[in-house]
Amino acid sequence: MKTKDKLFKKYHFLVIFLSIALFSFSACESFEFELPEEGSIEDKTPPSAEFEASQSTVDFKRYNFANLSVSATTYQWDFGDGNTSTDVDGVNDYPGEGKYTVTLTASDALGVESTISKEIEVVEPEQPDTPDPVIVNADFTKLPKSSGSDCACSAWINKSLGDQGESSSGNGGSDNVLKLDNIEPDHAYQEFEVVPNADYTITVLASFKEPSGGAAPTSVLEVRVLSGSGYVGGYTPVYYTDTAEFPQDNWGYTSIAQVETAANNLLNESIANPVDDSYVTYTFTFNSGANDSVALFLRGIGGPATGGNGGDFGYNSGDEEIRIDTVTITAINK
Amino acid sequence: MKKLKYIFSILIITVIVSCNDDFLDLKPINVPNGETFYANDDEIELGVVNMYDGIQGINSTRSNDNHGIQVEFYVTEMRSDNTETKSSEGEAAQFEDFAIEATNGIVDDYYRSFYNIIFRANVILENLGNASDAKRGQFEGEAKFVRAYAYFNLVRLFGNIPLVDRVISPEDKEIQFTQKPQSEVYALIESDLEFAINSLTNDSQYRASKAAAQALLAKVYMTTENKRYLQAQQLCEDIINSSQFSLETNFKDIFFNEGNSEVLFVIGYNGDDALNSQNFSAEWLNAVGRTSGVNYATPDSKEALDNFGGNRAQFSYRVDVTQPTKFQVVKYIPDGDSSLGIDPTSSNPTQAGNDWIVLRYADVLLMHVEAIMATNNDTSVPAALESFQKVRDRAGLTTPVTSITKDELLLERRVELAYENHRLFDLLRFNKAQEVLSNFATNTGRSFSATDLLLPIPQREVNLGKGVLNQNPGY
Repeated sequence: MKTKDKLFKKYHFLVIFLSIALFSFSACESFEFELPEEGSIEDKTPPSAEFEASQSTVDFKRYNFANLSVSATTYQWDFGDGNTSTDVDGVNDYPGEGKYTVTLTASDALGVESTISKEIEVVEPEQPDTPDPVIVNADFTKLPKSSGSDCACSAWINKSLGDQGESSSGNGGSDNVLKLDNIEPDHAYQEFEVVPNADYTITVLASFKEPSGGAAPTSVLEVRVLSGSGYVGGYTPVYYTDTAEFPQDNWGYTSIAQVETAANNLLNESIANPVDDSYVTYTFTFNSGANDSVALFLRGIGGPATGGNGGDFGYNSGDEEIRIDTVTITAINK
Repeated sequence: MKKLKYIFSILIITVIVSCNDDFLDLKPINVPNGETFYANDDEIELGVVNMYDGIQGINSTRSNDNHGIQVEFYVTEMRSDNTETKSSEGEAAQFEDFAIEATNGIVDDYYRSFYNIIFRANVILENLGNASDAKRGQFEGEAKFVRAYAYFNLVRLFGNIPLVDRVISPEDKEIQFTQKPQSEVYALIESDLEFAINSLTNDSQYRASKAAAQALLAKVYMTTENKRYLQAQQLCEDIINSSQFSLETNFKDIFFNEGNSEVLFVIGYNGDDALNSQNFSAEWLNAVGRTSGVNYATPDSKEALDNFGGNRAQFSYRVDVTQPTKFQVVKYIPDGDSSLGIDPTSSNPTQAGNDWIVLRYADVLLMHVEAIMATNNDTSVPAALESFQKVRDRAGLTTPVTSITKDELLLERRVELAYENHRLFDLLRFNKAQEVLSNFATNTGRSFSATDLLLPIPQREVNLGKGVLNQNPGY
């Protein structure tokens, strides 16, 4: 016992020293080991970068970026044109038109990063000119119908609104004009696409036979532009390009009553017989209003309501034939 | 003993036989109950009125009540450049500072109020089978209008939201907390409004009408990602051509001559009627309501009205007499202003009778301009100029306008519809919100970021959603 004590006494400084050294050594080691372990618990809310870009309405070259990132605290924007920013939301003025890749790097306080890139295309918004509408068989050439013989009236038939016009010759050509016969309910009807709220010019090149001096009243050429909002319910216009494809009935307008409803008329003009049988150009303008589709309706009136030489539609042209060479509709661009 | 056995057996059998469902499933006979109510037209009609009651909200200062549209100004106008609190106090000031917390009680109030309105509408739709053929279309139209109206506000304020299109129970967790893309919410809004247009007439300003549904759908078409300006224009023109609505001659009368022909849809309140009055009017005054004053006009909006408002300025804001550097909203004053010729709407301002106008004809006319302008930056189409001029003429600004830019239209809407909860939605629809509000914030020493354009989903809902309902970015 005594010897042991002695021995311990002898070495006890050393033992204490070693113990302390050992302890501090292992303690240091454990500090180094444990601290990062505790501090680096799993990042359960890593950042997720996201943004939306929108062109400024003030200047087309300026883009506003809305930062929609989640769980991030710092941001790095690369706008793709050399400009960068560390703001939350980005704003950048681009040098000009072109494609740019915008990159947002979002990071949280632990240094975890998330990156997203999107390509934007800077384009100057333009207000394009209103295109001229497409009118099929606008010069009344004798072309195939969907049924029966060729006709100058091809693409212009709506059997609910009148009898079809007839092929005829005039103005120096042959089979090149549409004839609205005397004392008949002849018509021309075609739907076409327009830009809403745009102004259009319509010109009609037509000739009236000179009055014969008979008892019947003289013919009047009526020109109407009918709004698409007046089409029968559930109707969707189809724009055919080939005259042989055009149906001859069941269009957007299915009755004369519908045609004569004032609210449906964007244009309603009556051309009286000029008492000169040469071809005369008549010009009108209309605004398409709240429509992307309208219909042109031409008919001869002035005759008796009933008892004509054709179907019963409640109207007839007067005593003279009317010939229409062409209709032209053009957009008015300032 | 044997006899007793028989009696006992019979007794057991009797007890067993008696124990069927009907015996236990008693319906109360002296009080209405949700399961058996809505059995006929009269009862369904009460349910229809109950939807508007939900929008009207409860006039109280208890934070757990559903205040409906009475707190809407906080989440719309006070998040724009139009209004702010008088003293920057409390959670109300979070709105103007673009520093809204997910725990904000007013946001929660609006959210649960409007989902409650949707619930009330779904109850009607669920019970349509008990309605007479003559009334069913009207009930369905009204319920769908109200549901669309509520969803349109919610989707613009909160973004992707749960889409509840039927009566649900607490067990229906999935539909309750699963957020749907905005396009799906808009699809329901559009189909609901299309139905309402076809089934309603223009009989009431206090209930859904055809014109109200048309005006709302026009706005929806110009707000949604898939914009349909032509259809919006046609809807506005239908309202205009119906000739049932007109601008009030005097601007003030829109608000103080209730039932006037400029109003398409309004939430009615009766003064000094605890159950049917409102307190927002009092909150907008200097320490008359519970707050020291909220929804005060910003100097920014005052300046816009001074410079561009014409004779609308005096009936839009006034100087707060007790604090002359501050400006109060005039449009809904509850206690009168003799210098402006405005009578009180109640003797107790916290039980005010001022109606809240949701849709009015001037809004329709300016939407008509917006629809014609469509994606262009300006317009000089005569139909647009005519509608625009009508609104300006009434304001005394009679110089003929020959073209209108998008910024001019936005400004005209700002001064015409100031403090009517349109400004934030207009900025968003015109794609101007981020630019205008970040400039406004910079100029007024506030901090704005793009994520402030959506409100936080109330934290309470996120918690209840247990990880299904996601918080909006930035919160």
